[in-house]
Amino acid sequence: MDSHRINQLTHQRINQSRRDTDMKIVAIDKKDWEKGLDRLREAYRLIGPVKEDRYHYFRELPQGQAPDFDFFNTRISAKEIVYPQSEDLFEYTLDETKEDYHLLKEVEKDYSPKAVLGIRPCDAKAVELVKLNFDTDDYKDPYWLRAWEATTFVGLACDSPCSTCFCTTAGCGPYHEEGLDVLLADDGDRYVAKVLTEKGENFMKAAGWTEGAEAEARFESGKSAAEEKIVSTVSTEKLRSADTLALHGNEEMWEDISFSCINCGTCTFVCPTCWCFDIQDEVHGKQGRRMRNWDSCMFPIFTVHTTGHNPRGTKLQRVRQRFMHKLKYFVDKYDAGIMCVGCGRCVQQCPVNIDIRRVCDLMDRYGATDACAVEG
Amino acid sequence: MGVEPGRLQFSWISSAESTKFVDVVTKVTEAVKTLGPNQRFVKKEAKVA
Amino acid sequence: MVNYSDKIREISKRLLKDCKVDMIIGFRKGSVPMMNEPHFARTAEDVDELVWDSNCGINLANYLTDRKEKIGVAAKGCDSRNIVTHILENKIKREQLTIIGVPCKGMIDKRKIAGLVEGEVLEVTEDEEQINVKSSGGKKSFKKTEVLQENCAVCIHRNPVVYDEMVAEPVPEQTDVDRYEDVRKIEEMDPEQRWAYFDDLFKECIRCYACRNACPLCYCPTCFVDEAKPQWVGKSQDPIDIRTFHFLRAYHCAGRCTDCGACQRACPVGINMRMLTKKLEKDCKDLYNWEAGLTLDSRPPLDFYRPDDPEDFIK
Ligand code: SF4
Ligand code: SF4
Ligand code: SF4
Ligand code: SF4
Repeated sequence: MDSHRINQLTHQRINQSRRDTDMKIVAIDKKDWEKGLDRLREAYRLIGPVKEDRYHYFRELPQGQAPDFDFFNTRISAKEIVYPQSEDLFEYTLDETKEDYHLLKEVEKDYSPKAVLGIRPCDAKAVELVKLNFDTDDYKDPYWLRAWEATTFVGLACDSPCSTCFCTTAGCGPYHEEGLDVLLADDGDRYVAKVLTEKGENFMKAAGWTEGAEAEARFESGKSAAEEKIVSTVSTEKLRSADTLALHGNEEMWEDISFSCINCGTCTFVCPTCWCFDIQDEVHGKQGRRMRNWDSCMFPIFTVHTTGHNPRGTKLQRVRQRFMHKLKYFVDKYDAGIMCVGCGRCVQQCPVNIDIRRVCDLMDRYGATDACAVEG
Repeated sequence: MGVEPGRLQFSWISSAESTKFVDVVTKVTEAVKTLGPNQRFVKKEAKVA
Repeated sequence: MVNYSDKIREISKRLLKDCKVDMIIGFRKGSVPMMNEPHFARTAEDVDELVWDSNCGINLANYLTDRKEKIGVAAKGCDSRNIVTHILENKIKREQLTIIGVPCKGMIDKRKIAGLVEGEVLEVTEDEEQINVKSSGGKKSFKKTEVLQENCAVCIHRNPVVYDEMVAEPVPEQTDVDRYEDVRKIEEMDPEQRWAYFDDLFKECIRCYACRNACPLCYCPTCFVDEAKPQWVGKSQDPIDIRTFHFLRAYHCAGRCTDCGACQRACPVGINMRMLTKKLEKDCKDLYNWEAGLTLDSRPPLDFYRPDDPEDFIK
C-alpha cells in the first residue's frame, strides 16, 4: 500500500471517530461542578490532574476529590491512561496437574467507562498519533483499543501555556480539538464546554450539564489570545524533502546532538507520543504472568539480539533513532506531521538539556540545503 | 531500609569448625523464626495495572 | 562566574593549540533556565560555546568513561573526585587527562527555586553571591547560599583534589556543616518507619534510570537491572522491583560515591535517592575513615583488606 493510500485511510479513521454531532456549547456553573462530578461517578471512573508533593499527575479521583486545574501540565503525559507503564496481558500456570496448564489466558481488566478531565489538547492529539500505531488495518492492539474506547477525553484549553510549549508549530495548539470529546475553557465563574463527539454528549448528559450557551466568541478569542502567548516554535516544513540517508549520515551533527545524552529513557517515558513497549514474563512458583512495560529506544538493551549483537550499539545511533523516528520516518510514513505535539516535557525534563526544538530546526535546515543542492 | 536487623547475620566459620557452623545456623534459624515470615522485599506477584 | 567561563576558554584554547589535548569537555549554555548541557570542543571556535556558572551540576567524569582521546576536562570538586575514582578503576588513564580545576561554591537547586517563585521560571541570572529569578509571576532574588543543591550545601570538598590547571584561587572549604543530619534521622527510625519512609520516597519513580545513567560510577556494560540471563530484578512498576533497583545500585556505589548529587539532579520527578548512597558514605567514613576519590594513592575500602578493619558485625 503506498503512503498516500495509508494517509487517506488514516484520515478516514480519525474522522469516523469524530462523528459529526451538532457542535454544541454548554455552560457549567462552577457551583454545579462538584455535583456534576458526583453524578458522573455513577457512570464513569474519573481521572484528572492531582498535585503530589511537587508535580501534577493524572490520578483516579475518588469521591470528594475534584481535579486540580491549576497546573501547567502534568509531569508524565496522559498516555498512561490508555496505555499504563506496566500492564498485565496474560496469565498461565505451569502446574501440569491443572487442566489448563501452559495455556495463556487473558487477564481480566476493568474496561468500564472512564473519563479523563483536564487533559491538555496536546496530550489528546498525541493519543490520536499513538492510535496510528495501535490501530492499523493489519494489526489492532486489543488492550490499547479497548481502553481507548472506554475513555472519554474531556480537555482543558490552555490559557497560559509554558515558555517551552511549541504546540502551534507542531500541528497542535492550546485550543486544538483533535482527540477530544469535550473541550472545556475556564470562563470566570463558569466553564464553557464545546461538545465535540457523541461520547462527549453522553458524558455531558450524565453530568447533568445541558444548559446551552452562546460562547463561540469565548473560544475564538481565547484561542487567538493563547496562541499568541506561545513563544517557542519549531520549523518542520522541509523535513519531508530532506534526504533520509544524507540526514542519517551526518555524523558530525549527530555527535553534536548526542554527546551529552546519558541514555536514560526520560524523554521517551514522559512523551505522550512515544509508544514502544517490551513484553516480559514473570513466574512466581507455578503461576506466570505476561505483561508489557514501556520501553525506550534510548536504552542500550532495546535492540540487543539474542545473539548478543546490538545493531544500535552506540549512543549516537540511539539518539539519532529517536529524532529520526519522530521527525523524519514518521513524517514520511504517515503524512500526519511530526510525531511530537510540542508539549515540551522532554525539553523540561531531559537531565542534560537535549532540546528537541533545536534538533528539529537543525534537521529542518539540513533538509533545506539538501533540497537546494538537488534543485541547483 | 526497614528489614529487621535480626534477619541478617554474618559469621566467619572455617571449614574445620563444624560445631560452630551448626551452632550458628541453629541460632540464626531461631532468631528468624521468632521474627516470623519475611514481609519485606517479598514479591508475590507483580503489582501492575 | 563570567571570569570562570573566560578562563576556561582561555586555557582550553591554549591546550588545543598546543595539541596537549584532542578535545575539551565542559558545558555549553542551556536552552532552558538553570540548565547547561555537557558539551565538547575540538576547535577554538567550539571553545567559545563553553560556559561555567551555577548550573553545571551534571558530573563530567561520566563523560570520560573508556574514552581513548587526550582530553581536557573541566572539573569542580566532586567531578575531580569521581575522576580519581575513574582512574583507580581503570576507566580512564591519568596521562590522557588535563584536568582544568574549577573551585566551586555550589550549584543551585532548580527545583527549590521553581518552588520558591510564583508561576513558571523564565530566566535566572547570577552575580557572584546573588541569584535573580524572573518568573511569570514577577521577579525575586535569593542569596545563593539559600538555594544551593542539597549536596552542595553540605559539601566539604569544593576544590578539585587533582588538577593540571586551575581557573581561579581555591575557595574556602565549608567546615561548619553537618553532613549527615538527614541520614541520622533515618537511622533513628524503627524498621517499620524506615520501610514506610522508603516506600514513600520511591513512590513516583518511573524507572527511567536517569539517576543511574547520570552517575559516573554506573558504567557497567549491562546493569544488573537490565540483565536478562539470568534476570535478577523484575522490569515492571512493581514497588519491590523499584526498591530493589535503588537499594542494590546504592550498594554498588558504596565507598565510591562522592555525593556529587548528579543522580538527584537528573531525576525527572525529583526523588532524593541520595538518602541511600549517603548512608553508605557515612558508614565508610565512620568505619574506615574513608572518603571517596580524595587520593590516587590508596585503594577504596571495599577493594582492600586491612587487619584492623572493624568486624564486630560478624558474630
Ligand atoms: S532524556 Fe535526555 S539524556 Fe535522557 S535519553 Fe532522552 S535525550 Fe538522552
Ligand atoms: S517529543 Fe518532547 S515535546 Fe514532543 S510530544 Fe514528546 S515529550 Fe512533548
Ligand atoms: S550515586 Fe549520585 S551522588 Fe553518588 S557519585 Fe553517583 S551520581 Fe554522584
Ligand atoms: S531518575 Fe528518578 S524516576 Fe528515574 S529511575 Fe531514578 S529515581 Fe526513578
